[in-house]
Amino acid sequence: MEKLNDGQVATLRRHLLKTGTSDALIDELIDHLACEVEHYVWIGLPFDKALETVTDQATHTAVKHLRERYQVELTMSDEQLQKASLDDIVFQFRNKAYGAYDLRQSYRLTMRNAIIMAVSFCLMLVAILDGLNRKEWSYVSLTGLAWILGVAGMTYAGVSWYLARVREQQFSV
Amino acid sequence: MESSGQEFLRGTLKTIVLNLLAEPTPTGPRRMYGYEITQAVHDRTRGDLTLSFGALYPVLHKLEQDGLLLTDTVEVEGRLRKYYALTPQGNQAAIQKTSDFERFVRSVRSLLQSPGELLPG
Repeated sequence: MEKLNDGQVATLRRHLLKTGTSDALIDELIDHLACEVEHYVWIGLPFDKALETVTDQATHTAVKHLRERYQVELTMSDEQLQKASLDDIVFQFRNKAYGAYDLRQSYRLTMRNAIIMAVSFCLMLVAILDGLNRKEWSYVSLTGLAWILGVAGMTYAGVSWYLARVREQQFSV
Repeated sequence: MESSGQEFLRGTLKTIVLNLLAEPTPTGPRRMYGYEITQAVHDRTRGDLTLSFGALYPVLHKLEQDGLLLTDTVEVEGRLRKYYALTPQGNQAAIQKTSDFERFVRSVRSLLQSPGELLPG
């Protein structure tokens, strides 16, 4: 049986993308439609005509219908919904790989680290200015305490941010 | 006739898919890809029933999510082809669903018979 070449498969992919096929299904649908085109070519239709017949079937309405059915069939069960976070629900049928999902997942941690860093930085700044003003330095004073707290906070937030990044990279590899 | 055939098909899709995959082959457990399943349905019913991709794939993915099907993606001529096969749990579900459906068909048949035929004597 005649097989489609890469260019012809690419035509099908473009058509499916244009009709709004979801990521979860696109590869499977390409194979499905390619098989149908091959079938029509085999029974004697020229490629263009075969492609037209198949793409006429896979219209916006058909793909939309598929997407809707897909969401009804594969929606989370009540049990899963109990455990799911808001992000999980919002991103259920959206592209998680794009990045917004990860950003939202790490939002709380990023925010916490940023606040700790900002407060620590202010403490260190106050300590330095105060030390410069007095022209003397002692760790056993309010200024010294502010400095130590500032350095500790900075280190904690920095290490926590670094570890989160390492973990992220391990997952993405 | 076509449209009501499709209407009945919708409710029995899972049973049909599970059953097709439950048939043994000489090379071991059966595995099929989406297009193959639609062709099998079309050929066996001599074109009376056609399975559209819009109906098939949601059901396949649902069965996979429920742990009844295993998938295996293979590259064929530059395209990704996803094969489906039954898990042990899927095998049991196929048997269960078939017997449920047969019982249902018997019940419907007795409903469709005219009452006169049912009366003894």
